[in-house]
Amino acid sequence: MSIIKENIANGIELYVNKLNKFKTVTINIYISNKLSHETAKFALLPSVLRRGSFNFKTYKEITKHLEDLYGAMFAYSIYKKGERQIAQFNMEIVDSTYLKEDILEESVKFISDVLLNPLILNDGFEQSYVQQEKEKQKNLINSRINEKTKYAVERCIEEMCKDEDYSIYELGNVDDVDKIDEKNLYEFYKKAIKRLPIDIFVVGNVDVDKVKEFFNKHFKIERTNVEVIPDTPILRKIDKVKYVEDKLDVTQGKLTLGYRTNVNPWDEEYFPLLILSGVLGGGPFSKLFMNVRERESLAYYAQTRLERFKGLMLVMSGIEIKNYEKALEIIQKQVDEIKSCNISDYEFNSSVKALVSSLNSIKDSGTQLADFYLSQKLSHTDYSIDDFIKKIEKVTINDIVDVSKKLQLDTVYFMTKNEE
Amino acid sequence: MLEIFNDLIKEKMYKYEHKSGLNVFVMPKKGFIKQYAIFATHYGSNDREFIIPGESEPTHVPDGIAHFLEHKMFEEESGSIFEEFSKNGASANAYTNFTTTAYLFSCTDNFYSNLRLLLDFVQRPYFTDENVEKEKGIIAQEIRMYDDDPSWRLFFNMLGGLYHVHPVKIDIAGTIESISKIDKDILYKCYNTFYHPSNMVLFVIGDIDVDKVAEIVNDSVKSKKRDGHIKRIYPDEPTKINKNYVEQKMSVSMPLFNIGFKDNDIGYGGKRLLKRDITTQICLEILAGRSSDLYEELYNDGLIDTTFDVEYVGEVDHGYSIIGGQSVDPEAVKKALIAKISSIYKVDDADFYRIKRKLLGRFIKSFNSVESIAHNFISYYMKDINILDFTSVIEDITPDDVLDRFKTYFNEDNCVLSIVKP
Repeated sequence: MSIIKENIANGIELYVNKLNKFKTVTINIYISNKLSHETAKFALLPSVLRRGSFNFKTYKEITKHLEDLYGAMFAYSIYKKGERQIAQFNMEIVDSTYLKEDILEESVKFISDVLLNPLILNDGFEQSYVQQEKEKQKNLINSRINEKTKYAVERCIEEMCKDEDYSIYELGNVDDVDKIDEKNLYEFYKKAIKRLPIDIFVVGNVDVDKVKEFFNKHFKIERTNVEVIPDTPILRKIDKVKYVEDKLDVTQGKLTLGYRTNVNPWDEEYFPLLILSGVLGGGPFSKLFMNVRERESLAYYAQTRLERFKGLMLVMSGIEIKNYEKALEIIQKQVDEIKSCNISDYEFNSSVKALVSSLNSIKDSGTQLADFYLSQKLSHTDYSIDDFIKKIEKVTINDIVDVSKKLQLDTVYFMTKNEE
Repeated sequence: MLEIFNDLIKEKMYKYEHKSGLNVFVMPKKGFIKQYAIFATHYGSNDREFIIPGESEPTHVPDGIAHFLEHKMFEEESGSIFEEFSKNGASANAYTNFTTTAYLFSCTDNFYSNLRLLLDFVQRPYFTDENVEKEKGIIAQEIRMYDDDPSWRLFFNMLGGLYHVHPVKIDIAGTIESISKIDKDILYKCYNTFYHPSNMVLFVIGDIDVDKVAEIVNDSVKSKKRDGHIKRIYPDEPTKINKNYVEQKMSVSMPLFNIGFKDNDIGYGGKRLLKRDITTQICLEILAGRSSDLYEELYNDGLIDTTFDVEYVGEVDHGYSIIGGQSVDPEAVKKALIAKISSIYKVDDADFYRIKRKLLGRFIKSFNSVESIAHNFISYYMKDINILDFTSVIEDITPDDVLDRFKTYFNEDNCVLSIVKP
């Protein structure tokens, strides 16, 4: 597998990975910003751009064009990797092998049009689009509460990182959305498209030269003073564990434990940390599954998640409310077991194999490949998937115990029910 | 071994029937790293009452038993089968829906050894009083998790509005009360009835060798004697809906809604069902899809947002459409939808062919992912449909078919509004 990288403009990198096994070609464009008071604005841009461009003036026209392109997928999402906020535009089109025509250039032209050639009136975006999308964004921010499992994790992170930019929600807050209008958003857009880092990944059965040609021809912007997004601070010493409780109208309690890993994304220790997270809660072989679920029947799910770019490890589970103390004790005990080197060969080997398997699986998805390469770029590591796997396979149980000593419990969050 | 081709998407699969009655399908995917296998039985939460082959009296079982059985299959006399898969670096899982219980694994290595594990453990039940009791606590937490999930409640409340007695209105996992009645004897009874190879299917996909799969199936699948067929008993469901409005209060930020349309054109599977399925999808796209006039109007009026979506679910013995999302005023959405339906008297050719292109493109795209292919395959198989027939069936559909479906299916009398309110 070879990936070709080219600078198509100041601060815009195009990566092309030619692979002929897919039915589609995927194009992913990532624009990055720093989490800040601009977060709400940055988050609003993709949805306003999706409403209409100079050539396709309405949502309906854009959608019809995509449907004509054999149901080309075009989606955007906003998320964060550390304190870097990312707007991802994802387009997926059917490969010409399966059609009577080649729609790649048309697709590059389309995505360029939506991103670079917006519908502008009187030096601002279309007013009604901005107003409607602001309402939508506020609704999305408010509806975080609907998905309790996810919300319980987000709330833990928010409390944990209260005085850090990482606590900023990826869509910003309602007050900041209210301050946006079609003029200041357009001002911000002009600056963003000129100065923020842009990475483009194309994966599929494509002619590499053609891809370069199409992007050079259609994705044209003047770029100056390109910004560098700083790396997110990771190291943190915890003096006292925070305990936070939210009361909601729920029947199940959600317990989340937030740990600081104190491991930078580029550290060699990141590899043992990944296996540690697996041993603790990465599958049915893990300590949490075996103890919280199978031995004690306390939960249906009990698992871990790593936030590589902020140095966090989250432990999450859904439990009977009255079992809070017991679950908390058992979860912390599993972490202590790792710290005192109580890791079986089975737990260790299973965790390594599960990781290797999921890394290898990335090769079967264009968008996952793009995300993998983006993550390497952001962590200043230049690993291929196979390099990454080799790193994982070199880790020993002792390396895991060493990195476990850096773990510090920061916050215990519990979502419980309203007492009536 | 039968070879089934689809020239348009350039895929083929092999089919063969094992002497036990098990149907086996293999789809080779050159160059793919991931391998995937699903071993499924035609048995789901809808099977609450049935006559066991060789018996004459019906058996009633507690709600949630198919799902409970699925959980318990992973337990072996020697421990958990998860352990064996984990040692091979494979990830095993299972799911239960209304009609199907499916066991599966994905891996990137040791495929044939994992396939043996899968076939063996699903043929080897091990239930004890103790391990059955232990599972009740875990499943109770699963049920609670769904109780707190607004979208799940919204969906089942809609089904409760559409159906009077059809078991599809009952939660797949049952209730904490109904699962308390489950014991090992009743689990064995269900297992022996529904986990017969002739009631099951195996689908495998990846960069794998077809003959080697057949060899493992021949080694591992045991033929079992069977006298007669399972008789599944379903109550007579009236054609009319049960209630046209259902509401529940939960902790959400704004109202969520599902508008459901009950389908009474049922009772068959195969290509005819596939045609009904695709035709209805085209109707829904033209009516309320992202490029429709209605979507644009509702969006501009602030009545819907991008969570708004349309879907058709077509099963052999039931079917419904769902139009849903979040809205400050779900009643207004329903009103606009009904008004739009009654104003449709022709199908625009441009819309029709554009939507067809879209559905065809999405079908081709779904063959990028071994998981999607496997899951779609199983879902269609249970309706006697081969997924590779999609391209020929969609080609046959005409604008008249779509118009006819509009006229006969979508109307206010068979429509339910389900709302979850803050």
